Amino acid sequence: MKWFLNILDVWRNELVRVLKDEGVLVFFFIVPLLYPLLYAYLYNNEAVKEVPAITIDNCKTSLSREFLRNVDASADIKIIAHCADMQEAQELIREHKAYCLIYVPAEFQKNLLEGKQSVVELYSDMSGLLYYKAVLSSCTEVSLSMNQDIKSQRLVGATKEQAETFAYPIKYKYVPMFNTQSGFATFLIPAVLIMIIQQTLVLGIGMLMGDEEEKRRKGIAIDHLQDKKPLTILLGKTGVYMCVYAIVTAYLVCVIPHLFGLIHIWQWQEMIAFLFPYVLACIFFSIIISTFAKDRESFIVLFVFMSIPMLFMTGISWPSSSIPAVWKALSYAFPSTFGVNGFVRITEMGALLEDVRPELIGLWIQTAIFFIIAWILYRNEYKK
Amino acid sequence: MILSVAKRELFRLTSRPLYLFSMILAPLFAYIFFTTLMDEGLPNDLPIGVVDEDNTAVTRQLIRNLDAFQQSKIMEQYSNFAEARKAMQQGKIYAVYYIPQGTTQLALASKQPTISFYTSASFLIPASLEYRDMKMMSEYASGAITRSTLYAKGYTESQAMAMLQPIKMEMHAINNPSLNYSIYLSNSLLPAILSLLILQVTIFSIYSELKEETSKEWLAITNNDIYLAIFGKLLPQFMVWILMGFAYLVLLYGYLHFPLHSGLLPMVILMVTLVVVSQAFAVFLCGAVPSLRWALSLATLWGVLSIPISGFSFPKMAFPPALQGISYLFPMRYYFLIYVDQALNGRSFGYTWVYYALLCAFLLLPIVVMRRLKKFLLEYHYQI
Repeated sequence: MKWFLNILDVWRNELVRVLKDEGVLVFFFIVPLLYPLLYAYLYNNEAVKEVPAITIDNCKTSLSREFLRNVDASADIKIIAHCADMQEAQELIREHKAYCLIYVPAEFQKNLLEGKQSVVELYSDMSGLLYYKAVLSSCTEVSLSMNQDIKSQRLVGATKEQAETFAYPIKYKYVPMFNTQSGFATFLIPAVLIMIIQQTLVLGIGMLMGDEEEKRRKGIAIDHLQDKKPLTILLGKTGVYMCVYAIVTAYLVCVIPHLFGLIHIWQWQEMIAFLFPYVLACIFFSIIISTFAKDRESFIVLFVFMSIPMLFMTGISWPSSSIPAVWKALSYAFPSTFGVNGFVRITEMGALLEDVRPELIGLWIQTAIFFIIAWILYRNEYKK
Repeated sequence: MILSVAKRELFRLTSRPLYLFSMILAPLFAYIFFTTLMDEGLPNDLPIGVVDEDNTAVTRQLIRNLDAFQQSKIMEQYSNFAEARKAMQQGKIYAVYYIPQGTTQLALASKQPTISFYTSASFLIPASLEYRDMKMMSEYASGAITRSTLYAKGYTESQAMAMLQPIKMEMHAINNPSLNYSIYLSNSLLPAILSLLILQVTIFSIYSELKEETSKEWLAITNNDIYLAIFGKLLPQFMVWILMGFAYLVLLYGYLHFPLHSGLLPMVILMVTLVVVSQAFAVFLCGAVPSLRWALSLATLWGVLSIPISGFSFPKMAFPPALQGISYLFPMRYYFLIYVDQALNGRSFGYTWVYYALLCAFLLLPIVVMRRLKKFLLEYHYQI
């Protein structure tokens, strides 16, 4: 029983130390509380609507006007001006008043009436890919529906259905699954939430360890860490972080998606079975890194920038099938790689535990390896 | 006097590995990581699953054609849709192409069968690229059948195309025709990471003087002239940052040949401005929030938020109105806008000077807090 009471003693005193340390509280509570709110709010509109576009209509006929009117009516594009020539149009784009240009050539209607093909040219400012997507998809949609009418007119004597079958002997249907609106928040926020768990643990635990280093240098003893076995200290501290992050993780996984209407179709058993090893792996990972801390703050300078490469290593943005082998190998050193991939599939795609088995095994292996390394490092750190 | 402060600072910078890491290794790592990660420009061979219930010569050809698209690769064929969905949930594929039984037969009998395709936009980039390929493939599938009917009826190729697609879209992506993701992400992520590190290191280096109780000695060199003291301290850091900034410019525009329609000089000026503004903003934060911990946390928040707020992936026009205003408080926002105008689009300086003026306003910020900072550096005693 003695060893258990010792662990409990470390746990109790460490918890008090965490709660009294303003700097650590920032990372353990304030950042996980506020940062996701800010991020999710920023992306809350999910997609860009009504991208300002301009037109040059050299045709000026009923058909060209119909085309442009339909484009304007689509959700993604808003036509803000009709320009007389290219110069005027370029000027509006240079001034960031518009991001896309739709150019209808003079022979647009004439070609269509003569049974020829008419080409509409689209130009998009490439300062953001979403502008490109908006103008291309809305204009394509409009052209496809106008094409249907034109085709049925061209097949003299055919009904609309016959014309349709002639033009499309095989029809096709697109079904977006899971993130059905291709929403930006739905795509990015789950990954950010999981990333926040790992990064704030590293920063908070790094600060606690740096604090111990600073005190040691000044000869200030931390009573409850004296005369304890390294393993006792390791387990006691892990218990503290686990308790804190049970609350933090519950907030990130339950409250944030609920507040912002993000998809969360997980079952709680699956979620706990997956996130338990994730948080545990993150804790041991952080403990390992924290042993390099020399003072309270240096970790903020050393580690925060890594969040961005780490987020990309998970494959949530740039697909993992295209990540070079070196970076892929490195990515397995971070719990976030398995964590983000598994979590996104469980929470948004309804994956079961068996579907995320590789990630789950990865997390448990990391937990085991990181635990052993952490223990060895603590034996050096806390040798009597 | 400035020189002796600078010499002293140079000694301080070389005495701690933290500075070597965060000023040189960290930016270099980020440069190499992101440019090699997205080396392909667009991800190639993204895994697609196929369910071919029809399994005829026609459908097999269709699948081979889809596989031949550059962005898509048929990963596996599944015997039914449930299996394919499972593979999606297991993260093996991003999309499913589904051909139901009887497709060929119905098409030959002009009974218009429907094929369908599914994407999982929880992984936004691969899903949208595969969507594009699968849609094009489906258009071709119909087109091929109709075209042969039309040829049989004596249509020429251009007449047939006009019949198939009366109105056609032609897309021009201004200055990034290949939709290269690296051009679009590296150009904004890397300066943002550099700026984040500048903010953090500047604050850390100023406040470490307090922690090590050397701030009085530092100010004494300039006879307690805070301006000279800060200037001398930040000068060697400035040199290092400029070096790292130039390394970035050489890598992106010299080695990778990313669009540089403005010539190099405007980007050099922009980089120097970003470095100085980041340093000035850090000094301002030091004075405004006289606590290492809080100043550093605030700088970190600013630096990390710069990435979404500068609006290169999710455009500013789609932010909630409250956050659109906040974007003016982030130097990176201006960097991004100037980069777009200059390097990407080669617009004349007349469109850009307002952003420069606003950026330069950041340079005046430290003046507001200099006296406060001086008092703090001279009187504060650091306590754990």
